Amino acid sequence: MEVSVIRSSSQAKISKTELGCRDLRFCFGKSNDKNKIFSRKPNSVCFDSQISRFRKAGLRFTLKAIHSDPILESKSPATSKSLDRLRLFVGLPLDAVSDRNSVNHARAIGAGLKALKLLGVEGVELPVWWGVVENEMGKYDWSGYLAVAEMVQKAGLKLHVSLCFHASSQPRIPLPKWVTKIGESQSSIFFADRSGQHYQQCLSLAVDDLAVLDGKTPVQVYQGFCESFKSTFSPFMGSTITGISMGLGPDGELRYPSHHKPAKSGTITGVGEFQCYDTNMLNLLKQYAEANGNPLWGLGGPHDAPTYDQAPNSNSFFKDHGGSWESPYGDFFLSWYSSELVSHGNRLLSLASSIFGDTEVNVYGKVPLMHSWYKTRAHPSELTAGFYNTASRNGYEAVAEMFARNSCKIILPGMDLSDEHQPHDALSSPESLLAQIRTTCNKHRVEVAGQNLASGAPGGLEQIKKNMLGENPIDLFTYQRMGAHFFSPEHFPSFTEFVRSLSQPELHPDDLPSDEAEATESVQTSSDPNIHLQTA
Amino acid sequence: MAAVTIDSLLQNPTLLFRPKAKVLLKPPRSLDCSRNRKLPLSRGSCLCSFNPRRTIHVVRASSSETALIGNFDISSSDDILYKDIFPVKRIEKVEGKFFIRLDRSKDQHDWQLTVGCSLPGKWILHWGVSYLGDSGSEWDQPPKGMRPPGSIPIKDYAIETPLKKLSEGDIFHEVKIDFNPISEIAAIHFVLKDEETGAWYQHRGMDFKVPLVDYLEDDGNIVGAKRGFGVWSGAVTGQYRIMSQVAYFLVIYRIPSEPTLGDVGALQQFSNVLLKSEASHADSQNNSIESKDSKNKNRCLEGFYEEQSIVKEVSVGNLVSVAVRKSPETGKVIVCLETDIPGDVVVHWGVCRDDAKIWEIPAAPYPPETTVFKNKALRTLLQPKATGNRSGALFTLDEEHFGFLFVLKLDDNTWLKFKEDDFYVPLLGISSVPGQYGQSDSTSEEISSKSYTDGIINEIRNLVSGLSSEKSQKTKKKEVQESILQEIEQLAAEAYSIFRSSITTVPEEVVSETETTKPAVKISSGTGTGFEILCQGFNWESHKSGRWYMELKEKASEISSLGFTVIWLPPPTESVSPEGYMPKDLYNLNSRYGTIDELKELVKSLHEVGMKVLGDVVLNHRCAHFKNQNGVWNIFGGRLNWDDRAVVADDPHFQVLMFSLILKALAIQGTFEGRGNKSSGDNFHAAPNIDHSQEFVRKDLKEWLGWLREEIGYDGWRLDFVRGFWGGYVKDYLEASGPYFAVGEYWDSLSYTYGEMDHNQDSHRQRIVDWINATNGTAGAFDVTTKGILHSALERCEYWRLSDQKGKPPGVVGWWPSRAVTFIENHDTGSTQGHWRFPGGKEMQGYAYILTHPGTPAVFYDHIFSHHRSEIASLISVRNRNGIHCRSLELYMVG
Repeated sequence: MEVSVIRSSSQAKISKTELGCRDLRFCFGKSNDKNKIFSRKPNSVCFDSQISRFRKAGLRFTLKAIHSDPILESKSPATSKSLDRLRLFVGLPLDAVSDRNSVNHARAIGAGLKALKLLGVEGVELPVWWGVVENEMGKYDWSGYLAVAEMVQKAGLKLHVSLCFHASSQPRIPLPKWVTKIGESQSSIFFADRSGQHYQQCLSLAVDDLAVLDGKTPVQVYQGFCESFKSTFSPFMGSTITGISMGLGPDGELRYPSHHKPAKSGTITGVGEFQCYDTNMLNLLKQYAEANGNPLWGLGGPHDAPTYDQAPNSNSFFKDHGGSWESPYGDFFLSWYSSELVSHGNRLLSLASSIFGDTEVNVYGKVPLMHSWYKTRAHPSELTAGFYNTASRNGYEAVAEMFARNSCKIILPGMDLSDEHQPHDALSSPESLLAQIRTTCNKHRVEVAGQNLASGAPGGLEQIKKNMLGENPIDLFTYQRMGAHFFSPEHFPSFTEFVRSLSQPELHPDDLPSDEAEATESVQTSSDPNIHLQTA
Repeated sequence: MAAVTIDSLLQNPTLLFRPKAKVLLKPPRSLDCSRNRKLPLSRGSCLCSFNPRRTIHVVRASSSETALIGNFDISSSDDILYKDIFPVKRIEKVEGKFFIRLDRSKDQHDWQLTVGCSLPGKWILHWGVSYLGDSGSEWDQPPKGMRPPGSIPIKDYAIETPLKKLSEGDIFHEVKIDFNPISEIAAIHFVLKDEETGAWYQHRGMDFKVPLVDYLEDDGNIVGAKRGFGVWSGAVTGQYRIMSQVAYFLVIYRIPSEPTLGDVGALQQFSNVLLKSEASHADSQNNSIESKDSKNKNRCLEGFYEEQSIVKEVSVGNLVSVAVRKSPETGKVIVCLETDIPGDVVVHWGVCRDDAKIWEIPAAPYPPETTVFKNKALRTLLQPKATGNRSGALFTLDEEHFGFLFVLKLDDNTWLKFKEDDFYVPLLGISSVPGQYGQSDSTSEEISSKSYTDGIINEIRNLVSGLSSEKSQKTKKKEVQESILQEIEQLAAEAYSIFRSSITTVPEEVVSETETTKPAVKISSGTGTGFEILCQGFNWESHKSGRWYMELKEKASEISSLGFTVIWLPPPTESVSPEGYMPKDLYNLNSRYGTIDELKELVKSLHEVGMKVLGDVVLNHRCAHFKNQNGVWNIFGGRLNWDDRAVVADDPHFQVLMFSLILKALAIQGTFEGRGNKSSGDNFHAAPNIDHSQEFVRKDLKEWLGWLREEIGYDGWRLDFVRGFWGGYVKDYLEASGPYFAVGEYWDSLSYTYGEMDHNQDSHRQRIVDWINATNGTAGAFDVTTKGILHSALERCEYWRLSDQKGKPPGVVGWWPSRAVTFIENHDTGSTQGHWRFPGGKEMQGYAYILTHPGTPAVFYDHIFSHHRSEIASLISVRNRNGIHCRSLELYMVG
C-alpha cells in the first residue's frame, strides 16, 4: 500500500483506522489533534516537528508515496522527504581494499560487521577508490570491492558506496597511475594556489570538460567508472547498496582544496587560499571577467588575501570591515569562484543521477562544513573553499538548489562538532553553520545526511545524538570510521552506548504498534537472513 | 546404553567367564528403540516425544486421532482463535509373566525346554547351545533336529525362534525346544527379544543358561542354579530407563547335594532386599534322572518350572488439545486444555511476555486445584470430564500475555514435554502465528546439540531486529541484551586486535634451525626458559580433603624428580564454589585447599625442589559480598571493596551476567556435538564479570597480582577463562606482575561439519593465536586445538589429522609453538567433571605426542599419579635427553 498525500486537505489527519497497512509500520498516537503531520504549503509537503515521534516509531514514507501525487512529482521530485527510520552507518576503513585489489583486514572487518549488525547498525560505508579500480584507463577491477559487498550482504547490512575520485594521503591511496603520469607532464590538470603549488590529490574542476585524459574529459572518465560500477554491482543495487556518494573534490567534498596544508598543531586553522591559479582556472576567470566587462579583473585572484594558515585580518581581503570581499571586485571574484564550484558539482551530480536515477539507490554528494571563522562577517574559510557565504549572503542557496535540481542528497560532515569545544580564538561555529546549511537545504527540500569529522572528538557522540534526535532530526548518519581506534576499549564502549541510546524506545505505551502489526513485524524480522554468529 | 541391571552386586564374585561378547554386545541399534523403531519411545533425555503437528487441518489423518479430535468439545467452537492438537507419546508399563519349563516330552525319552511369555508382543527366543568340552561361554548353533520350525539361524552361533500362541485362547506365547539329553549339549543359552520394541530381556545382563550337565561352571547366570536363587531384572532399553521391577525365583532345580549354608544365608538376606517376589515353587518333579554317562560326569537332569514377572514399556499415543478463544463478555483469553491421558494429569503452566519464553505467573483467577510452584509456575490438576476418560481445564488469562507455556506431569512422575521444551501456545497475534510457528517447527529434530546455540542465535536475532526496528524493546529480556553486548564486545575485541596489530596473516614463528644448540636461555613470561614441563597439581576433587596443600607438599620432590619444572596450583582465593573458580575476597587465601600459611609452605617446598609455581588466577569474574540498593549482588567486600562500577554492565558499564560461563558451556557443548542438554540458565548468573576497562579495577588487580608474587611466592599465572576479557588487559597485568611463566585458558569449540571434526582447524587455532597476540606474546595459551584433534585422531585412528595443509602440526603448536601449552586433560575436561574427556586408553599416545613435540607440555595430576606414571616419566626423560624445547623443529615420529 502506498500513502498518497492528499493535496486537497491542508491538514491530513491520519488515524490508526485509516492506515490498516502493516507494511508501513505506522503507528500514530491516539490523539488526532497531535497529528498534524502534513501541513500543506503550495506545491510542497512539509513535515513539522511532530515527525520525530513517527520516525522513532518506525514510520516509513516511501518516496513512491510522494511520487504518487503527480503534481508534486512534476514540480519537485527530489524535494520530498523520505522519512525512514533512523539509520546509522559506519564507515569501513579507507583502505578496506588495497591497491592490489585484495581485502585488507578481512577477518577484522568480518568480525566488525557482525558486531555492528548485532548492535543494530543499518549498514556500512565503503570508500571505492578510483586509484584502486581503474589502474588502466577504461579497465576496471572491482574484485576486492565485490568481495566486501558480499561480506556486507552476508552480514545482513546495507552498503553506502562512496565513489572516490580523489587520492588519500593517510592511508596512501593515490590517483590512478595513468592519471598521475598525465599530471607529471601536464600539471595544469591539478589545482594550483597563488604560489603555483599544485594540489595533486584530485583533478581541477576546470578540466572537467577538457579532453585532458588521453583524449577523454574527466567527466567522461568518471562516467565510464560509474557505469562500470553500476553494471558490476547491479545484483546489489537497491538491496544491499542503498546509497552512493559521488566524489566531488578533495576528500570527496564539494570544495576547493583551500585548506590542504594541515594546520600546525596548537595553532588555529587559517583562512586557506583560493585555488584559482592553474592555467585552466585562470582561463575561465579571464573569460568571465571579459564577459563582465572587467577584463582586468580576470588576470588573477585577489592580491590581498592571506595565506593558508593566516588569520583573516592579516591582510585586507577578509577584514570584517572594509575588507575587499565587500568591494565590487570581491563580489565579482567570489561569485565566479563559487559558481564554478557549483557548476562542477552540477556536472558530476547530474552525471550520477542520470546513471543511477533508474535504480533504487539514493545519490549523495558531500558538502564540507567550513566552520572556521564563521563568526566573522566574511566567513573566509568558506570563501576560499568556494562557498560565497558571508554575513550578508547565503552562499548555500545555490548549492542546495543544485542538489535539488539533481535529486541528490547532501552529506554534511562535522555533526560531531560543537561550538563549546572549538578554540575560542578561531571564531568558529560549527553548530551555526550546520544550522544554516540545514535550513537552506530544508528550504530547497534537499535531504541531509550526517557524518562525523573524526571519531573521538570531545563530546562528539552527544553532539551527534543531538543532531540525530533533536528538533530537526536527520535520519541517516555515517559514523567514521572503522579501524583500530573504533574498536579500542577507549572508544567502542562509548559507541555501543551511543547506538543503544539512539535505539532506546521512548514511546508512550499508546504509541506502541498494535498487536497485529507487532506480530507481523516479528515474522518479518525473524526471517532476517544471514546473521551467522560464532557463538562458540 | 547397555541394559542395566541392578543385580551385579549379587553376583558370584568368583565369576570366571564373561558372557560371549558377540552375542551380548548387541548392535546398539537394537537397543535404542527410539532410533530404529516405528514406535518412538524417547529422544535425548526426554521420555516422551511427539511429532510436531499443528493445526487440525494438517494433522495426518489417522482414524483413531480423528475420532478423538472429534470428541473434544473445544474443537467445535466457532470463536476459537487458535487450536492445536499435540500428539504425545508416553511410556506405559505392562506387566506380565514369563516362564521357563524343563520337562520330559511326551514320549518320556527326549526332554523339552519351554519358554513362554504372557505379554503381548512379537517375542523371539534368541538362543544357542554350548557343548561339552567347550572351554569358554561361546554359543554354538544347536543341531538341526533341535530347532523348532520357524527358526532362523543367526550367523554361526545362534537361532532365533518366534514364540507363538498355541491356540487363540492361550495367554502365553510359547516356544518348545526338544532335545536329546544324551547329546553332547552342555547347556542351552537364550535371551528373549521383543521385536516390537526391540527390547532384550536378559538374565542379570547375560543370557539365560539352562545347564544340562551339572559340572558346568557357574557363570552366575544359570537358571535354577544350585545356589538356589536367581535374580532377574528386565532391563529395557529406554536410554535412561532402569526398570525397577525385579523378580526372583527360588529353587526349583533339585540337586543331589545339599545347598550350602552360605547359599541359604545369602538367599535369606536377599529376599529381604528384593522388591518383588513372585516366586512360584514349581511342582517338584522329583524325577530321578537317568544317569547316562557321557564322557566324564553324571548327567542328572531334573525338570523345573520357573516363572518371572516381566515388564514391558509400551509407548502409548495420547493427544493434548489446546484451544484459545476470547471471552466476548470479559475480553479475556480463555485457554482450554484437554487430554485423554488417563490418571491424574497436572498441568505445570505459566505465561510469557515475549519470545524469550520466560515463565511468569499470571494474575489470578486460576482454575480449581491450582497451586503455585516455587513462584515460577502454577500447577493445576486437570479435572475429569463427564464424558469419556478425558480430563481438562480452562485457564482465563488477561489478553496482554504473549504466550501460554506448559508441561504435563503424569501421575507416575513423568513429564511430558514438547521436543525437550515447553509446550507453547501463542496468545498474541495469533492470526499470523502459523508462519512463525512453522519456523520453530522446522528446527531440526536431528541436531539436538545445535538447538541450544541456535536458540541463542535466534534470540539474538530477534533482539537485534528488535533493536533496529525499535519495537517495544522493554519487553525484550535484559539477559539477552547482555549476552549480545558481550558477543559484540568479543567481536570488537577481535577486530581491534587485528586492526591494531595490522598483521593480516598468521604470525609464523621463525624456528631455530639448529637443533643441537640450545637457544640462549632467555626467560619470557610466555615461554619460561623454553624447556618447561608443566604439571597440573590438582584435580576437581582436590578440595575435598581440606588439606591439599599439605598433601601436595609431600609429593613435591617426587613430582620434581619426574622431570616437571613448573607446577600449576589450584585457585587460592576464598571462593563461593569449593573448587575455587568463583572467587570472592581476592586477598583471603584461605580456601578449601588449605590456609594461606600452608600455601606459603607448599610454595616454599616446591621452590626448594626447583620448581616454579603457577597461581590459578580468576580475573574474569568475581563474586560479590553484598547487594546494591537494587538487590543485585555486585558490591564487593574484602580488601578490594569495589562497587558496581567494577562490574561489566548493560549499558555497557553495567553487566551482571556471567557470560563467560555461558560461553564455556557453549564451548563444551560444541565439543560434545550432540550430547549436551539445554542447561538451566540459573547457573549462569552466578558471578559478576569484572569490567577491566575501569582503571581502578586494573590498578587493583595489578596490585593483587604483585601481592601474590611477593607474599606467596608465585612465579607465574594460569589465567582462568581469558575468553571473557580482552587480551590487551592480560598484557597489562603480566607486564605489571612480571611472571616467569603465564598461560591462559582460551577454550572454545573446534569446527565440526555434520558432527565430524573438520580437518582444518585453522579458525580455531587462529582465535587462540589472536588472543596470544593480543597479550603481545606475554602469555602462552592452552592448545585446545591440539587436544581436540588428538581426540579424533587417536580415537578413530585418523592419523592424517596430525598434519595440516602445510605439513605442520595442526594445532596452535604448528603456528606458534613457543606459546602453545599442549595438554590432553585438565580438571574440567577430565577428572570427575569429564566435560571433554580424552579417549580412554589413548592417554599415553596423547602424551607421546605432546611430550615429543614443541610447545610446552602440561601433564594432568590424575595421569601422573596413575599407572601411566612410569611411562610419563620416561617420555619426559626422552624429551629432556633430546633437548626438545618449546621452539624445537618438528620431530616426526616414524611408525
